[in-house]
Parts: sequence; structure tokens; C-alpha cells
Amino acid sequence: MNLRHKVDGQPAFVLHAYPYSETSLIVEAFSRDFGRVALLARGARRPRSALRGLLLAFQPLELGWAGKGEVQTLMKAEWQGGQPLLGGKALFCGYYLNELLMHLLPREDAHERLFATYAETLRRFADGVRESDLRRFERALLQELGYGLTLEHDAEGAPLDAATHYAYEIERGPVRLQRSGNSALSVSGKTLIDLARDDFSDPRSLAEAKQLMRALITHYTGGKGLETRKIFMELQEL
Amino acid sequence: MSTPSSLESLIEALRCLPGIGPKSAQRMAYHLLQRDRKGAQRLADALQHALAAIRHCERCNTLTEAEICERCTSPKRDATLLCVVETPVDMNMMEQTHAYSGLYYVIMGRVSPLDGIGPRELQLERLLARACDGVVQEVILATNYTNEGEATAHYLSEMLKSRDIHVTRIARGVPVGGELEYVDAGTLAQAVRERRSLAE
Ligand SMILES: [Zn+2]
Repeated sequence: MNLRHKVDGQPAFVLHAYPYSETSLIVEAFSRDFGRVALLARGARRPRSALRGLLLAFQPLELGWAGKGEVQTLMKAEWQGGQPLLGGKALFCGYYLNELLMHLLPREDAHERLFATYAETLRRFADGVRESDLRRFERALLQELGYGLTLEHDAEGAPLDAATHYAYEIERGPVRLQRSGNSALSVSGKTLIDLARDDFSDPRSLAEAKQLMRALITHYTGGKGLETRKIFMELQEL
Repeated sequence: MSTPSSLESLIEALRCLPGIGPKSAQRMAYHLLQRDRKGAQRLADALQHALAAIRHCERCNTLTEAEICERCTSPKRDATLLCVVETPVDMNMMEQTHAYSGLYYVIMGRVSPLDGIGPRELQLERLLARACDGVVQEVILATNYTNEGEATAHYLSEMLKSRDIHVTRIARGVPVGGELEYVDAGTLAQAVRERRSLAE
């Protein structure tokens, strides 16, 4: 997008920030109406910068920016409040969401519903992480990006049967199996039906959904391992 | 006329400094070679000397010329307390408080998952070994109150919890002498969430 714009009071979250030149930052933000944007925060690393300490991931902000081209200039940032700081496991899960968004969201592509789901998920994280929140977010993310799962029927168009086993084929959907398979993409009909309803009360469905989502996300991120997953594993090795 | 290759490699080498782009590197290189060749020589000598002489302290991981730094061997320090900080600058700040007389461990970084920096990259198992020397009784986590500092503190507390070591975290809140009117809202919000009972 090469149009010059000026945006003000835009609800957004910082996904990641990295140093740029001696005193500035490049901020990757997820905004409600413009999706993922890259913003240059001039002087944000100076000791007395008003932006310092404000451009914190997982905190609801309102940002203003202007300019054209791929990296625009951050003009204003305001803290919105209402979101407790994440700590412990929730913080690592927050990083996981951000890494997914950094990998999968194209720049300047609005995803208002996903933005709401993201904000809601962070709010839930503040009371502790439930696996089901992660699965819901992953499903919403794939859906929004047009990689939605086929969960209404199998690849042949027949209704899903809870007692049957399926192999989930990425382009086609669930393909009926004669017996249970052992690949990550092999799931029971019950899991698929529960996933469609966002019902994660059955621990087996939850466990299978995790395997399925992991395989799908690995596929869509081009087979690259996620850094947050690697660090999560180191955390679990303790 | 093309740039001589030794000049080119100097410019390229200067770019390893934080915040130095190709233009600044070029300016620095020309300055050193044209206007201040003596200064350039001093810089080269100092760099070479520092590289040979300076290493990480075996106990606290900060930069030092000895195998074990002066602070770590000082009998005046309380060896039952170990304060964990991200950088040597943070350690100096702690020292300026005159409120702490224990020892330190300097991580030389922080956990930053999106930059691919985890416990392995930071060699946090060295800190674990240091904390488990049988003398340390309390580890004070003084990493920054940023998300990365918190992530680091969380990892360390999980790592040390199982080792029978008392783990504490420095407090955060309204600054000393701070008037609520001038405190930023985020700090105040967290201070309310982390409010404490007053002693009877
Ligand atoms: Zn030392």
C-alpha cells in the first residue's frame, strides 16, 4: 500500500519491537482497522522518551501514525488500561500468539474479528491459561486467514460421525479411515465435532485438537519451528 | 577511484557497533585514517588488549580481568544472597543503592522468545550451578519489569523452586517521592493490583 495516510487513535497491540539506529525502535503492531503494521518509533530508546515503557506487548494501546511505504512513523501512543500485565505461563502463551501473528498475518490486511479474539484471549490469560483458549485462538486465526478447517462434513460431503476416525488432509478436509491412524493429522470424529462447537470439555478432544492444530500451523508457517514452542519445551523440561 | 579494500573492510568492521549504519561507519573510518591516526592506533591497541585480558567472571559472569572478580572474592559481601540482574549496568545501579551487600549473577541478556533467545542461549544452567553452591540461601530476581525481564524471572523461579532455594522478586510500584498525579497510569494500575496489607 503506497498511499500516504494519517491514522489517529487506532486500537492496537505491540507484537514485537526491535532496535533501529541508535535511539529508535521498529514496532510491529497489530491494529484493529489496518491489521499488522510496522512503525518507526523515533527516539523511543532515549532515557526520557515518553514512548519508553509504553510500547509494551500485551497492553491495549491507541496509536497514531503517518507516512507512506512499508514502515510508517509512529506519532502518538496512549495506554488504554484494563489489561493486567501478563506473568508466568500466560506471558509465554502471549508470546506464542504474537509469534503466530508475526508469521501468518500479512501486513496491512485488516482482521477486525481476529483483533477482538486476540484482545479477549489476552484478557482470559490474566486469570490463568486454559488450553482451550489457545485452541480457540488458533482456530480463529486459521479461519480469518482463509485456512478454515472443514468441520461440518467429511471430504466426501458426508456428515461427521463421532465414532469414526479420520485423517485430516489439509486441502480436502477429514477423510474417513478404516481404523485409527497414528499421524498427527489423524483424529476422531468426536474431536472434529467438538472443535466445530468450540467444546473442549473432553480431555481427549482437547489433546487431539492440539496435535491437529500444531500440524496445521507447522504446515502454514512453512515447516519452520516456532521459537516460542522451543522455549516452552525448555520450560517444561525443568 | 574505487575504495581500497582495507578501507572497505574497516568500514564494514565498524558496522558491528550498535546503531552504526554504513554512512556513520564511513565517516568514522575517514576520521580515524585522515585526522587522527594516533587515536586510531590507541583504539586498536586498547581493543586488542581488552580482548586478550577481559573475560567473564567464573562466579558472577560479569566482565573481569581475573578468573574470579574482586566483588565475588570480597569477605565483606554476604554470600548467602545472590541478586540476578540482566546487565553489568544494572549491577552498578544496584550497588549505588547501598541497600544490598550480597553477591550478583549477571545474565548478560534476557529471555526474548521472539528473538529466539531462550534459556539455552543465555546458558542459564550456569546460574543454576552458581545458586546451588550450598551457601546461597536466597536468590533475588532483579531483572527488568519488561515482558522479557518478567519472562526471564519466571523461568528462573521455576528453575530454582525445586532446589530448596528461597526465590524473591524486587518489588515494583509508585516511585519514592512519587506523587500519584504524576505517576503513569500503567504503573499506578499495577501498584493497585499488587497492593499489600500494612503491618499491624
Ligand atoms: Zn564475579
